[in-house]
Amino acid sequence: MTVLDIRNISIDFPTSKGVVHAVSDVSLSVPQGRRIGFIGESGSGKTTTALAAMRMLAAPGFVSEGEIHLNALGDTDILSLSEEEMRRVRLRKISYIPQGAMNSLNPVMRVETQIWDGILAHEAGVTQAELQRRSDAVLEGVGLDPKIVGRLYPHELSGGMKQRVCIAIGVCLQPDLIIADEPTSALDVITQRHVMQTLREVQARIGAGLILIGHDMGLMAQSVDDLAVLRLGELVEFGPVRQILENPQHPYTKELISSVPLVGGESFLDPTPAEVPKGFTTQDGTPLLELRGVGKTYGAVTALHPMSFTLDGAVPKIISIVGQSGSGKSTMGSLMLGFSPPSTGEVLFKGQDINRIGKADQLTFRKQVQAVFQDPYACFNPFYRVDHALKFPFKRFGLAQSEDHVRHAMEEACRAVGLDPSLVLSRYPHQLSGGQRQRLIVARALMLSPNLLIADEPVSMVDASLRSSILKNIHDLKDRHGISIIYITHDLATAYHVSDYVMVLYKGHVVEAGPPKDVIGDPKHTYTRLLIDSIPWPEVGRDWGSADDARAALDELARIGGTPRTVYRGDIPGFTLRQG
Amino acid sequence: MVEQNLGDKAHPGATRPPGAPPPDLTARQVRRMKRFDNPWRNPKLIWGAGLLLSIVALGILGRLFWDTDLVFTGSGMPRQAPVGVENIRGQIGSWAHPLGTDVSGKDLLALLIVGAPNSLYVGVLASLIGMSTGIFLGFTAGFVGGRTDDVIRVLSDVMITIPPLLILVVFQAAYGDISLTLMALLIAAFVWQSPTRLIRAQVLSMREAGYVQMARLSGASTGHIMFREMMPNLVPYLFGSFIANVTTSIVTAVGLEVLGLGPQRIPTLGRVIYDAINSGALIQNLWWWWGIPTLLLAVMFIGLLLINLGLDEVSNPRLRRL
Repeated sequence: MTVLDIRNISIDFPTSKGVVHAVSDVSLSVPQGRRIGFIGESGSGKTTTALAAMRMLAAPGFVSEGEIHLNALGDTDILSLSEEEMRRVRLRKISYIPQGAMNSLNPVMRVETQIWDGILAHEAGVTQAELQRRSDAVLEGVGLDPKIVGRLYPHELSGGMKQRVCIAIGVCLQPDLIIADEPTSALDVITQRHVMQTLREVQARIGAGLILIGHDMGLMAQSVDDLAVLRLGELVEFGPVRQILENPQHPYTKELISSVPLVGGESFLDPTPAEVPKGFTTQDGTPLLELRGVGKTYGAVTALHPMSFTLDGAVPKIISIVGQSGSGKSTMGSLMLGFSPPSTGEVLFKGQDINRIGKADQLTFRKQVQAVFQDPYACFNPFYRVDHALKFPFKRFGLAQSEDHVRHAMEEACRAVGLDPSLVLSRYPHQLSGGQRQRLIVARALMLSPNLLIADEPVSMVDASLRSSILKNIHDLKDRHGISIIYITHDLATAYHVSDYVMVLYKGHVVEAGPPKDVIGDPKHTYTRLLIDSIPWPEVGRDWGSADDARAALDELARIGGTPRTVYRGDIPGFTLRQG
Repeated sequence: MVEQNLGDKAHPGATRPPGAPPPDLTARQVRRMKRFDNPWRNPKLIWGAGLLLSIVALGILGRLFWDTDLVFTGSGMPRQAPVGVENIRGQIGSWAHPLGTDVSGKDLLALLIVGAPNSLYVGVLASLIGMSTGIFLGFTAGFVGGRTDDVIRVLSDVMITIPPLLILVVFQAAYGDISLTLMALLIAAFVWQSPTRLIRAQVLSMREAGYVQMARLSGASTGHIMFREMMPNLVPYLFGSFIANVTTSIVTAVGLEVLGLGPQRIPTLGRVIYDAINSGALIQNLWWWWGIPTLLLAVMFIGLLLINLGLDEVSNPRLRRL
């Protein structure tokens, strides 16, 4: 039985620049109990198509052609329903699980009251006892204790719990179709696995169809039955997920699949470096960067427990710091840049405490230590064209010989990160995508050729296909200019390939450290193992485990939460790590 | 993906499937959408600026084409009505005094030519001084922080609670006759608090912004960060706050003048209204005497209001409607 039938649908958005065809001629049907994934990069029309089925398109957008049929409504086209009729369809027949659960729940209402709200909007005369019974049942269905969680307010829940509450609201009326729009995008991999498993189990129990919107091929492989690949508003490929993964037809699908780096997979780096790495050495052997018992606390919260390491720059290396959000990895970056002083210990750069550098030497220090920040949207001053961000430090550090030289250097840096300089340099930041901005930030850092680069998620917003090529460029430039790199990331697969040494951070502790082949390839610490198990790989055969497995793993993690012991997995020359 | 020819797409009416939300794009709406490509070409902004410029133009053109010496007592017959209107004694207004005269024979047109720009001048000057103080204190508080911040914050918070008119009345009553500039200075002492608070808040949040961190990373000096990185992004707020302050300043100035506390010898709109009230213009049905200056004040305020609304839409695209 087909739950939802989308026939030749086209969606247009009139703008001042002309009509944007967000979706053109997409046909698709969702059978009962089957999970369909919509995959594609941002702007490919995947959310727009799903929202059209809910009749919830954003303001100027409208369905210009096509029909949408819902099995429960018989022959009537969804698009011809009145607003009141449509209201009765929403949640009861089609429910929507939004992307940002933290913003989707009403902050002043208890969780169970919000579930009752949904029920009462569709059914009159439900008694209080009946409401209570039903909300308890759905909360239990998503693995939350109704006695406790039902009485809580959204701010008292974690991100994963909030997302599961959203799922509970979505399934409380047992709809025919659930649309989940990147339900795990704001969650870390461990929670993501738990939420996805919960969603799958609930969906299977009520036998609804599921549309899962996402951009992560790995997540799709683990969660859906059929996959629809969308690109620029067109459906380029549709079929069972196994068939698409094993035998993709469209070049774009092939690109999507091949671009996902795998742990233990083939490296995207050149096996032999093009030239002998150029390093930095001091006469007396002072390390490039040294942390002595550095810790950071914010009030009662310890972001980073005291740790020490020394990094010498003789052979430029990439040191990866990996962990979930809140593990203290960004705090480490900011400490090494001297943006926030450590609560204990000191950070030394070439033997000098970076928090005690005089005004005169400040510029020299800045010139040698550069960074790529996490959020590319905030990194550009909206008032200036983007070349300001590249030109200003170049001139400020006295690297510029002439205007021509500046322009030449900027163009070269842009090309190194795969950008066309004539297209991007004279634009304003809002005219560029997140990925383009992020690449410009990388270009900026590379063009200043510092001794040390702190790269905080430098490629998080770039499409997977470009990710590996930019990392490859960073890797090559590291050798050419002798740049030592601290690579802060949550992406274990790229860390596995590019880095020389990996530190796994958990709640401000280094739990496991060593060469990537050991730490990520063969993890020993419970946390590292859990982290790696939770990554969704684009392999259909691999079992992601059930929601109970995920919950058991989370419980085990909570048990070791206190003071995890560091597992040392071997050393590399030029880098030593100690705890405390 | 983007089609440039919107013309034929503007009326898809017939081909639309029944029930789809109507696109309803008339040519008028397309024109309105086009306008948003350049937010500064905002109709409210343009109309508001036009109204204010008309006051300035009145001052300039009036001085060129009209005799401003007619502001003195006895320049003409008293109580003359505007052109073509009969006054209470049955005299019909003449072109010698197109807007009529007051009880002492002052020419009303000349009074407005001199008075209206004066009122605007007081407002703009007071607001300029207040803004400059606000920018300076706001940046200092936000950037330096610590004790300096505490002092500036407490000072501006305390000053905001003091009703300005009360203090000004006391001050002016003690001082007697003052010049326009001194009046502007006095008013300025009451309009620097809100820009200070506004800018302090903005600077505090901007200090943590990515591009400011980026500038620090690029070795930028404090001056560069303040004036080259932060200031340009504050422009819409500064403009908005400036315009709001001009309004407040003019209201305060006119209020004082209507109470008879403004400059005694210099014509301003408030002063004209004060004289009119004082000489029983309402009872004698000399409506042009108080009516026309009030109208000019209304034009000024509507102009300022429109500019403020326009700036709001410029800096906050969500307010722009199709």
